[in-house]
Amino acid sequence: MKHALRWARSGGALTIAILLLLGGSGHAFAADTLDSIRARGELLWGADAEGGAPYVYPDPEHPEKLIGFEVDLANALANRLGVKARVVQNQWDQLIPALERGNFDIILNGLEITPQNQQQINFARPYYVYAQQIVTLTGTTNLTTLADLKGHPVGVLAATAAQRLVQAFGGIDVRIYPGNVENFQDMKAGRIDAAVLDLPIALFYAKPDPALRLSGEPFAPGYYGIGVRRTDPELLAALNQAIADLLADGTIEKIDRKYGLWDERQAVLKDYHQEAVAQRKTISTLREWPKYLPLLLRGAVTTIELSVLGMALAMVTGLVIVLIRLYSVAPFRWFAQAYVEFIRGTPLLIQLFLIYYGLPEIGIRLNAFVAAVVGLGLNYAASEAENYRAGIQAVPRGQMEAAQALGMSHGQALRHVILPQALRMVIPPVTNDFIAMFKDSSIVSVITMVELTKVYGMLAMSTYDYIGLGLMTAGIYFALSYPASIFAGRLERRLQRDRR
Amino acid sequence: MIVVEQLVKSFGSNRVLHGIDHTQSRGEAVVLIGPSGCGKSTFLRCLNQLETADSGSISVAGVTVKSGQKESRAASHKLQRELRMKTGMVFQQFNLFPHLTALQNVTTAPVVVKRMNRRAAEVLGRELLAKVGLEQKADAYPAQLSGGQQQRVAIARALAMQPEVMLFDEPTSALDPELRDEVLRVMRQLVEEGMTTIVVTHEMQFARDMADKVLFFDAGRVAESGPPEEIFGNPRNERTREFLKRVAVK
Repeated sequence: MKHALRWARSGGALTIAILLLLGGSGHAFAADTLDSIRARGELLWGADAEGGAPYVYPDPEHPEKLIGFEVDLANALANRLGVKARVVQNQWDQLIPALERGNFDIILNGLEITPQNQQQINFARPYYVYAQQIVTLTGTTNLTTLADLKGHPVGVLAATAAQRLVQAFGGIDVRIYPGNVENFQDMKAGRIDAAVLDLPIALFYAKPDPALRLSGEPFAPGYYGIGVRRTDPELLAALNQAIADLLADGTIEKIDRKYGLWDERQAVLKDYHQEAVAQRKTISTLREWPKYLPLLLRGAVTTIELSVLGMALAMVTGLVIVLIRLYSVAPFRWFAQAYVEFIRGTPLLIQLFLIYYGLPEIGIRLNAFVAAVVGLGLNYAASEAENYRAGIQAVPRGQMEAAQALGMSHGQALRHVILPQALRMVIPPVTNDFIAMFKDSSIVSVITMVELTKVYGMLAMSTYDYIGLGLMTAGIYFALSYPASIFAGRLERRLQRDRR
Repeated sequence: MIVVEQLVKSFGSNRVLHGIDHTQSRGEAVVLIGPSGCGKSTFLRCLNQLETADSGSISVAGVTVKSGQKESRAASHKLQRELRMKTGMVFQQFNLFPHLTALQNVTTAPVVVKRMNRRAAEVLGRELLAKVGLEQKADAYPAQLSGGQQQRVAIARALAMQPEVMLFDEPTSALDPELRDEVLRVMRQLVEEGMTTIVVTHEMQFARDMADKVLFFDAGRVAESGPPEEIFGNPRNERTREFLKRVAVK
């Protein structure tokens, strides 16, 4: 479970970086992709349904089916190319690396045409003009421009133009979210004062919600474009022609209107002329390590704080749970057992979501750091309880008998005879769990914590140097976890001198 | 000193003690012999409440536990612990605490149970280790000691609680023959000092030399009892004779 989660979240990019390093070029196709699309009769387009409405999202009526204005657009484009469209699910902030690896043919998912993105891939002519929109609670009236947001906690969607814009503006307390809904959820929970979002998201989610308002005018317009690999000029030309046709015959306007997205800004799409784009500049973060390493290390400090506090909580809670489970009376014992089974049987990701986004609904509002420590700690408490249980049960029965024969009560025997021996035995598994938590802590970026892996993801997004940063990040993780396992080995040997 | 009446104990449907009666006065040394599975160890473990009897009563140095009666859990626990405080137990497998030094093994119970001052407990502990001939091994861990040394530490540990009665459950059975004597020597010394003892053992020489009374257990009953010269010299019971013949051949 833990591995799968790590992969699914930003850690996947790290793996990709290493795969790239091992496998050389990530490009899967030698010839132009347009030929392969025609040959297989399918246009594979990459998108993230978790990114949500109105782009690509599960139909609330038929959740197994994806709908959205980009689904309609993809079908229309494929139709023009004489093939069928098939969506390939991919985490949004990893769409570009995945395209370069050859996981799909094009990106069609609200990808902004920005200089940074253009350094990496080509864009077909834009299909939508977006703008940024500030969204607040209905009662908030004083936050209508970026300048107003200074000093306020403000939510943005990870890896979006809004994130770059708000971060570059400076002085704003930026919180980064993995999806749209969490933004609004947290605003209602009082953790952030405003969110800056692409207008389509604001129109779709916030406009119909009486608790939220679109605050001020849309600003900083830009284009959504279809991303294509640099090695696919023929596919690019074919897409440009298809989009021009769909604009000319009104198909795109029809699709936009269907989702309430059409506005007068879209008029400029018809006579768009592509500007020359500067060649991609490769940044070697390894060569410029003094600039990047300190940023990563600052993330590492958060990672260490999270895992040390989380593990401390897990070890104490686990001990309480195992004592209740083994030595308490029936209803408490059942509760402890149910706790262990429930925690082990549900993903950490869901538990974090429940703690961070769910608890505010019943009035418990933890900040992200506390929620992360509590989430990690309570999750690992179940494993630690099981570790302790194995340790306690491995202490021979004669030990309890000898202690009781000496007149010790059950509790005294536990405390002075059984637990000291059991705890020595569980040092190796508990250390392993600590190292695992150290790496698992990367998952808390989903509740807006910026720790080592998140810093890596953010830097990689702006520099595109997945390999250099990936090596540095992996190096930091290793440099921290390896001494931990050496230390544990020493401790174990020292405590077990009685077994020599 | 010790009065046991009609002690009955079963494990599931298997009855291992069929109503044992036993009286023993202060300073007496009693040795229990008999084939394995005859109930002698269970009898010993009932005496210090490691096993709870189904019925009958046990009285040691004025503390009486009656089994099979309806008492509150807490009250019976309290009585159990009182009875245990009167008895010291030495196990076949030593059961020393492996994470503690020899001295700590001896001092932990007085400090924890009797709230004895730590320094006083250490003085007592060193005295007792000297008594069993291990004063130089005070800081050794059990794993660093031979089996015979471990068993002597276990005796010192039991003595530290100043029991009225010492119970030995096959104390030399897990030891190599050359290590048995050092343990038996300590036990002889205790008996000579007038400690009330009950020993379950296969050491017939020890029984002959030291016992005031020998009980022969067979199938959960005391088949024969008497002074050692009688039991060993002129056993009346057929089963006793068979058992002694077998032991002698070994």
